[in-house]
Amino acid sequence: MKQDGNKNEAFSLKTRFKRFKRDSNRWSVFTLAIVLFLAFPILFIGIELFAGPGDTWGHIAKFLLPEYIFNSLYLIVFCSILVLILGVSSAWLVSRFDFLFRKQIEWLLILPLAIPSYIVGYAYAGIFDYGGSLELLLRSLQLDFVRIDIMNRAGLACVLSISLFPYVYVSARAFFLNQANNLLEASKMLGVSEVKTFFKLMLPIARPAIVAGLVLVLMEVLNDYGAASYYGVNTFTTGIFRSWFSLEEPETAVYLSALLILIIFVLILFEKWQVRKLKFTTAKTNSTQMQRKQPNTAIKWLILAVVLVPVLLGFILPVAQLLYWAVLTASSVFDFQFLMISLQSFAIAMISAVITVFFALLLIYFAKWSSLSSIRSVARIGILGYAIPGAVIAIGIMIPTLALDKWLIKMLGNFGVEAGLIINGTMLALFYAYAVRFLAVAYNPIDSTALKVDNSIPDSSKVLGVGNLKTFFKIEFPLIKTGVFSAVILVFIDVMKELPLTLILKPYHIDTLAVKAFEYASDEMVMEASIPSLFIIFTAMIPVIFLNKLLIKR
Amino acid sequence: MKKLLVAVAFLTLMTACKNENKNKVNPAEDQSAKDQVVNVYTHRHYEPDQDIFKMFEDKTGIKVKVVNASADELIQKMKMEGKQSPADVLITVDAGRLSRAKDQDLLQSIDSDILETSIPAHLRDKDNQWFGLTKRARIIAYAKDRVKPEELSTYEDLVAKKWKGKILVRASSNIYNQSLLASIIANDGDEAAKKWAEGIVANMARAPKGSDRDQVKAVVAGEGDLAIVNSYYIGKMLNSPDAEEVKAAQQVGLFFPNQNNRGTHINVSGAGVAKHAPNKENAVKFIEFLISKEAQEVFTNANYEYPILESVAPVQDIKDWGDFKEDDLGLNQLGENNKKAVLIFDEAGWK
Repeated sequence: MKQDGNKNEAFSLKTRFKRFKRDSNRWSVFTLAIVLFLAFPILFIGIELFAGPGDTWGHIAKFLLPEYIFNSLYLIVFCSILVLILGVSSAWLVSRFDFLFRKQIEWLLILPLAIPSYIVGYAYAGIFDYGGSLELLLRSLQLDFVRIDIMNRAGLACVLSISLFPYVYVSARAFFLNQANNLLEASKMLGVSEVKTFFKLMLPIARPAIVAGLVLVLMEVLNDYGAASYYGVNTFTTGIFRSWFSLEEPETAVYLSALLILIIFVLILFEKWQVRKLKFTTAKTNSTQMQRKQPNTAIKWLILAVVLVPVLLGFILPVAQLLYWAVLTASSVFDFQFLMISLQSFAIAMISAVITVFFALLLIYFAKWSSLSSIRSVARIGILGYAIPGAVIAIGIMIPTLALDKWLIKMLGNFGVEAGLIINGTMLALFYAYAVRFLAVAYNPIDSTALKVDNSIPDSSKVLGVGNLKTFFKIEFPLIKTGVFSAVILVFIDVMKELPLTLILKPYHIDTLAVKAFEYASDEMVMEASIPSLFIIFTAMIPVIFLNKLLIKR
Repeated sequence: MKKLLVAVAFLTLMTACKNENKNKVNPAEDQSAKDQVVNVYTHRHYEPDQDIFKMFEDKTGIKVKVVNASADELIQKMKMEGKQSPADVLITVDAGRLSRAKDQDLLQSIDSDILETSIPAHLRDKDNQWFGLTKRARIIAYAKDRVKPEELSTYEDLVAKKWKGKILVRASSNIYNQSLLASIIANDGDEAAKKWAEGIVANMARAPKGSDRDQVKAVVAGEGDLAIVNSYYIGKMLNSPDAEEVKAAQQVGLFFPNQNNRGTHINVSGAGVAKHAPNKENAVKFIEFLISKEAQEVFTNANYEYPILESVAPVQDIKDWGDFKEDDLGLNQLGENNKKAVLIFDEAGWK
């Protein structure tokens, strides 16, 4: 018996290996290469883990860790609830019903994404502050001012939610607009009520899209540093900065990062698991768009009021506060240089977005073309970068690229060539870092659209003897175009707002608007930070409006 | 759609060209190039600094290239860049970080008569690896209508029972708080420092949050009676474009603690020459210029800091606060005790 067992095992291992060998093709190799390339900074940090934590790890575990864990979980739960309510309800209302200003509202709902969360945090602190806008307003109305203190855990959760809910809105709306029509019509024909259709049919079927957006939100929440530190809420990320910079122990910071990555891993696994239970495809992607209902006038106004709430909270109020500050400080801050910096930021963000989306496409489709199913899970390792604070990624890139540069300098020196740093401190390192950091932002919308493309279409093309690449450009790309362009725009906006990574890796004399805004804000000149912030918002608004046109055209 | 693709292609091209230009700007070539430069890593993100850099460029023809980031990140960057680092000058907003940079062997000693004679010994490194540029005092801002200045005396007195629920101060992640506690460790010892931190936590009016300006506003609003803040923020608030901030700053009085013993805790914003500076001569000229009368006047007039040069008079707002006795503790000690201070804050539960 025992022998038998061994034999079987050997046999199965052998076949497994054979199968592995048979099924792995060049696409598997390419996928692995890309994953390695993108995960390198993260793996580098992983290797650092073996060096052990710093001396103060015990101190942190004793005095700070429980608070970090509690606060981070609190933010996850609170933000999930708020973001789902705001994002899903608005997405459904604008794609199902027709009402006054619907078209404008549709893109206004994406705009909160154009404001960095920490700027929203500053703006709200300014509104609720002593002598803040709310008090001035109430005073002018002869009302008593009761100050609501928002600078705490709950306040932070609210601020983050209203600035991040569009991630859920965008992915849910794309789904409702393009995928839901057939089922909706079937449900209507069977006489199911509007409310029941939404809760029993639409919500469950849209879950993969909604959760994909939610995971992005939660990653952003866990990464937030600016708002959390200003509001005095200690999270993992503030802890990483504290142990790295105040305690001078990068090793300890790496340990905290590892814990944070663990939480993110659980979130990603959760997402995978819930999508698996709900896998379905439809061949009729994008074929029919949802027909909007014409409700009666009273309900139209009600819907308008409901969808205006997130627009007001996430965009109009903070921008109004920023504009007020901008007027106060315009003369001291504004000059022509700002236009140049804006152009520069725009170009950097656009190029990074294209590069990042390119990598995401490679990863998704190479994994698809590889016949090995395990490769597809491996491919998702590439998107882990989003879970890691920008500053940590920057270090993960800086150490190896510097080593490479030094080696190159030495090699070139042998040939009598004098060279400076080639990768580090140039745009190359910065673009690489953005790709590592924001791959998940590009990956998720493309992946969820690609999931909905029935394999039978590309498969028939391939059966007819057309190659992978040609099939992709002729058939698959047109089908997933909306997903791809949403991805470009989402990455673009994220790069516009990105801070710590840019601060560390940017070359000389390259300034971005986010860097400029941060310089002011970090010096308690929040008012002066308003003008660069507004420039970020307006620069980011252009592609947001573009994205919306694109979604509607489909 | 095509338009977008064309636009993207164009932008890519633009930045690609820009990239090439940028690659040419590296330290090895800077030296051989005719253009003289000085590469500055700075944590001072104040607008007036730009004016000072401009003045320096006009005067000497040396171009100032700036990298802005927090001092910690800059130090980390210099450490990793090693010999290849293009940095010539490191500027920080506190002495602790400078002495940390010195300990990590990132700075070099500078022999300059101008710097040695203009800057008092306790405000520069004993090996002349870094130099103070401006001073700021950590003072107590009190509500004029509720607190009489006679009730105040020292930092140590703030833990007294009478201040229970009255004290406003920002989080312990803030370097100015870390430096203050480091100075208390240096002056009173570890045990006393820990007791002090615990005492302050017990007397706090609320959990620490926000900036120094926020603490002042909270005092005016009545959330507490005393705020521990840096002097120049009051100056900035008095000259703020926001009328509410001006009003708030006018309603607090300034108290300089510990006048009868060691003096009020001060910190400096300072600069040092990088160990592997490719343009060392320019770097020394640059720091000497920052100590010159014209630069010091900008520091105090536009940023409400105390000038380090005694011959320069502080701006009127600062003069109105009167003279005070400074703690002349060697600022090196702030760096040496910094980590200990952070650990004590955690143990005391100072968020």
